[in-house]
Amino acid sequence: MNWPVAQLTLRLLLNQKRTVLLAVLALVPVLLAAVFRWGSFEEHPADWASNRLMAQIIVAALLPLAALIFGTAALGSEIDDGTAVYLLAKPIPRWRVVVSKLVVAWLVTVAFVLMATVVAGVLALAGEGHALVVVGFAVAVIAGALAYCTVFLALSVATSRAFLAGLVYVFIWEGLVTGLFEGTRVLSIREYTLGLAGWIASLSPKTFEPELAGGQSLVLLAIVCLVAGWVGVRLLQRFETGESS
Amino acid sequence: MQSSPDLAAGNIYDLGYRRYQGARLGRRQAVLTIYLQSLRAAFGLGRRPAAKIVPVALVVLALFPAALRLGIAAATDQNIRIVEPANYYSYIQILLALFVAAQAPELVGRDLRNNTRPLYFSRAIRRSDYALAKLVALASAMLFMTALPQVVLYVGNAFAGSHVWPEMRDSAPDLPRIAVSAVALSLFMAAVSLAVAAQTSRRAFAAGGIIALFVFSGTVGGVLVEAGSALWNRLGILISLYDVMRGATFWIFATDPEPESQLGRADLPGPLYAALLAALASLALVLLLRRYMRFRP
Repeated sequence: MNWPVAQLTLRLLLNQKRTVLLAVLALVPVLLAAVFRWGSFEEHPADWASNRLMAQIIVAALLPLAALIFGTAALGSEIDDGTAVYLLAKPIPRWRVVVSKLVVAWLVTVAFVLMATVVAGVLALAGEGHALVVVGFAVAVIAGALAYCTVFLALSVATSRAFLAGLVYVFIWEGLVTGLFEGTRVLSIREYTLGLAGWIASLSPKTFEPELAGGQSLVLLAIVCLVAGWVGVRLLQRFETGESS
Repeated sequence: MQSSPDLAAGNIYDLGYRRYQGARLGRRQAVLTIYLQSLRAAFGLGRRPAAKIVPVALVVLALFPAALRLGIAAATDQNIRIVEPANYYSYIQILLALFVAAQAPELVGRDLRNNTRPLYFSRAIRRSDYALAKLVALASAMLFMTALPQVVLYVGNAFAGSHVWPEMRDSAPDLPRIAVSAVALSLFMAAVSLAVAAQTSRRAFAAGGIIALFVFSGTVGGVLVEAGSALWNRLGILISLYDVMRGATFWIFATDPEPESQLGRADLPGPLYAALLAALASLALVLLLRRYMRFRP
């Protein structure tokens, strides 16, 4: 970690319209959970909370979008604006730059998504006795956010169109392709997150059944973080400053 | 350097302020030019190769269900219709959303970022002309995503069997429906996405906002309608832009949705979806126009 870099990144990420956008998006699951609580829903609370609220809205939509916005902006917007030159010209090892940027992007993503997960989960499940569902998804979201942020940060060093590439990965690969071809599920951060959540939440398979086992998900998450982090550092070490983009 | 006595000393400076002598093509030509250049930009033509990858790949992917249907027809000899024209847009809805999310910021975001709007507005166009030209250009580009696969499916269906002409004649009533639905959906998605894209000069975040709008509204509407059968659950589907588009399409094709699908569960009248589609498109158009009307250089 390098504190000045981290502080500047935090300011870069939070002083924007996108923070408002993300706050609005993070409110969506909370509102839905409130509607579930006081509306006339016919589904079982644990069933609804894990499959709809957590899996469909938070893990499949809110988490990747938040990670995409912050993960690609942390370093990508500096490269876009041309200020990356000043950062890379400082005598800070490149891996420290990557780690500082990554940690801040991760924490900001987690702040938004975790808040939504916990508040919405408690709202939907309070008094129903499935506290582990909230804990499971909270832990899984923290781990999933790290994997997503690492991948998107590496992507933002690799290409100036990282945001678009990330959108395509999230919505075409994870959204469409993994639904059609089962074998591709081992290459989807969404499935790792769901696998880890299901493992901790330990619900009966009838209620919530992720495609991947918990241990397998955890190992795959660690591999993704390490590989993407290494690629990101490597790309930044070979990054040519002064290049106009 | 040689000095010439013929020229007075001040002469080389006196070029005069000359007026443009050529033909002035006027507002109509200016609007047409913005339209054509924006249409080219929507597919990355005249831009670097990287800008072409996403739009072209999305058009190719949008053709995939039609190609699948024709591939099955070629391989099995049987005329199984697994892909119906009324359902086609639902299969490719995320591709449609990704296309507008990627290309709407491309059309308006660059002018915002580079502050080139004053250059446009100092010409013989009105501000509304600029916005409308961009809208029609994006909607035209979207026709490659909506109408083209339908036409491929229609022609392919006819040629898949041995009775080409009877088949074409029998499904001819689909043609006006395809045209109306494709134009309606293209205009709707173009208007909504441009209204979002015109708000920010950061193209990446405009893309995020557009995709979030479609994906979140779709998921929330789906969750509401799946959860119960009270009236407000059924009305919840109207939050989902995807389902509004789907409901309007079914109404245009005069078919009923599957009873188990989200639209079937909601069981709302078809004209409601169509009216809401038109209302939302108009609202988006107003927001888009307002953004340019209010601009002060």
